[in-house]
Amino acid sequence: MKKLMLALASIALMATAAMADAPAAVAPTEVKMKIKAKEKEGTVKAKVAISHNMLTYDQAKKKGKDANFITHITATVGDKVVYDASTSQFLSKNPLIKFSFAGKKGDELKITYTQLKGEVFFATKKIK
Amino acid sequence: MKKTMLSLVAVAAMTVSLSATDYRAEKPDTWTAKTVETSIKALYGEVTPAEGEIKLKAPKVASNGGAIPVSIKTDIPAKSVAIFQDANPEAAVAVFTVPEGANADFSMKIKMKKSGTITAIVEGKDGKIYSTKLSLEVALGGCEG
Repeated sequence: MKKLMLALASIALMATAAMADAPAAVAPTEVKMKIKAKEKEGTVKAKVAISHNMLTYDQAKKKGKDANFITHITATVGDKVVYDASTSQFLSKNPLIKFSFAGKKGDELKITYTQLKGEVFFATKKIK
Repeated sequence: MKKTMLSLVAVAAMTVSLSATDYRAEKPDTWTAKTVETSIKALYGEVTPAEGEIKLKAPKVASNGGAIPVSIKTDIPAKSVAIFQDANPEAAVAVFTVPEGANADFSMKIKMKKSGTITAIVEGKDGKIYSTKLSLEVALGGCEG
């Protein structure tokens, strides 16, 4: 009986933590992103399309929803940051970003983004 | 026990942003500023930008204000690059940190409510601020759903 109560209590606690406004209290979630990363003579050109409705405050008001847009995008290769952008509600819906950095074929590029409420999402792709 | 677990997850999730700069957290006034001038001031302080070799590109007439392709490229050794516009309720669009080994070469699609001017700022490693502007027309305003 006690074990059941404890189990229920811990589920409730984790659920509340997930719903609370605490930034980054939820573990990063892997999502699908269209990532193209190609290396040529030591420079990697990356193109990333993120699916996100990027609801601005104005748009959200009209739809009666909460504003929700990407606030930060980071790209890393291993533990090296190769792209880092702090962003506003003014990136377009399903933002398409391009950037370039020194890198090599075979390395893995990881794209991580944070949205307004603090949830973090990521995707990875091997550099070709 | 649960609290330690939750805080551990929080720390793990935050390490991604620790090696980079979260300008939204560090310079919050940049993002609420309504004019380009006040936004730049909030981000970089009282600066007099110099004209620099910055290639800022965007279509002369954007057919869809909800998705305007903008690209900015510069060979000036840069610490950060920032994009602003004067067509939306707030001026700041994005601030990029330029990490070691990365190029100051960015493309993105942005929203503009109406025709206006995009300002790009490059914070040089030499401590100087460089800027360039580009005006464009927007055929269909971009903040509508």
